[in-house]
Amino acid sequence: MNNRRFKTLTTAVVAVCTLATMFVVSNVQAKKPFSGAEAEDQVNMLMAAVKRGDDLWHNPKLGTNGLACGNCHPDGSASNPHTWPKYQTNLGKVGTLREMINWCISVPMLGKPLAPDSDDMIAMEAYAMYTHRGVAIAPAKDEQHGAVPVVSGPGYPNADSGNR
Amino acid sequence: MRKISRRQFLGVSLKAGAATMFAGMFAPTATSVMGLGGIAHAADKKISPFTFAVLTDAHLYDIPDHKFDAILEKGVADVNSLSPAPDFVLYGGDLGQSGKEAELVKGKKILDKLKMPYKIIPGEHDYYLDMGKAWRGLFGDEHWSFDHNGVHIIGMNSILVDDFWTMAELTPLERMGRMEELECHQCGLWGVHEKQLDWLEKDVKKLSPSTPIMIMTHSPLWDYYPRWNFQTSDAPEIRAILRKFDKVMAIHGHVHQVVYNSIGNINSAGLLSTSWPWPYPPVELPYPDIRMNRVDPGDFEDGLGSHHIAIAKEFDGVVNYRAFSDLLPENVKRGVKL
Ligand code: HEC
Ligand SMILES: [Fe+2]
Ligand SMILES: [Fe+2]
Repeated sequence: MNNRRFKTLTTAVVAVCTLATMFVVSNVQAKKPFSGAEAEDQVNMLMAAVKRGDDLWHNPKLGTNGLACGNCHPDGSASNPHTWPKYQTNLGKVGTLREMINWCISVPMLGKPLAPDSDDMIAMEAYAMYTHRGVAIAPAKDEQHGAVPVVSGPGYPNADSGNR
Repeated sequence: MRKISRRQFLGVSLKAGAATMFAGMFAPTATSVMGLGGIAHAADKKISPFTFAVLTDAHLYDIPDHKFDAILEKGVADVNSLSPAPDFVLYGGDLGQSGKEAELVKGKKILDKLKMPYKIIPGEHDYYLDMGKAWRGLFGDEHWSFDHNGVHIIGMNSILVDDFWTMAELTPLERMGRMEELECHQCGLWGVHEKQLDWLEKDVKKLSPSTPIMIMTHSPLWDYYPRWNFQTSDAPEIRAILRKFDKVMAIHGHVHQVVYNSIGNINSAGLLSTSWPWPYPPVELPYPDIRMNRVDPGDFEDGLGSHHIAIAKEFDGVVNYRAFSDLLPENVKRGVKL
């Protein structure tokens, strides 16, 4: 990156942050920080969704020809969640991750699409996103991305990882 | 653990003479059944050039008229149409998906349409419902070797895992279900294990270092991505046993993709499936130029294919990937040296 431009940008960011701090200091906070227990609950709820998504990604019942997402997308790889929304040729338009999930249910797996706002769909997305945590958001980037490397275990915190 | 016990075991067996212990394993193999050569030692002979074909990873389901049936049929028809006609065909495992006998029977019926003899090894999908019983009933030995036109050709079962099911009290169906997932996180790393290492050692013992060697396993003989069992745990032992040879060519299924590596005297190539392609795992490829393109999920034949391998006089091999759709970059299309 152009170094001078970077410096100007940094200065601007610092200025904005300082303003924001002043604003916060001189006003009541909008929301109290979560207590340790509350924060833990929230993470646990997300992990339950990730686990539910993991089970769905490995469930042939989403389709009718025996295949599960996991057949072709081990660890959720090549679903490239960080690249959506984007133009996708099979969708024939700029679409969302959940539209592509439904396309893969319908076409390679000959299944019935999930309701886009269902808990199942949210869990599908939670698994895809969690297995790609830390990957830079890059809308429309044309790449095939693997999941975050996993050495052993399910790849996410899970109390009963011994069973699926 | 296993490596240590293997070394200890070897130390003992060399002194005690393992020959008698394992003699039964070397009874006439499927070689004679197939009529592929049968001359015991290819040593020091120039080879006469030939070609053979490879198919792998059909993952057939016990569902009538499943789309994968048609793709395996296509692979068989493609191999039958090759010119020059291959002398034989190797099949690299995962003929079935869930280890059911019906899947394997269906697969055998299709493979039996091959005009040339074929040899086959098991993959994990063929195996963990009944621990290979149905597979052995249909195809015989899980490991074998034969000589053809001066080349010594070996096939081994590389998908043996340690028992993870007894303690967990899993049914055979549950055990198979776990193994069906590439990222199974209870199954552990697999390999060929002691008995086959002993067999291999004995199999190549009398061969001279100039003998050309070709070995097929389901999984790669190098550490690619262990998480997906893109590895063989006792590959180092296998490579050690084969180290004396001038040149070893290795081919493997399981990875459902174009991939290449060269370690010491062994060059190895991964093969295309006839079911679905796999994305590249999150590691750097040792030979990044030898790869396939991304696949169009709307084209059910994209990412799949058969293989025609040519062996020339000085044991130069070329793998011709025969992709069923537009999959390969130009350099791979021209053939990959093995
Ligand atoms: C038969 C194999 C197969 C099955 C089963 C399958 N997919 Fe796909 N899917 C693919 C292939 C191949 C691609 C293209 C991969 C690429 O872009 O490199 C793809 C692409 C995708 C993409 C878009 C990736 C991108 O960047 O364009 C998403 C998201 C996706 N699949 C999700 C799923 C989900 C969720 C399921 C299960 C409901 C599923 N897939 C089942 C083969 C499959
Ligand atoms: Fe396979
Ligand atoms: Fe496999």
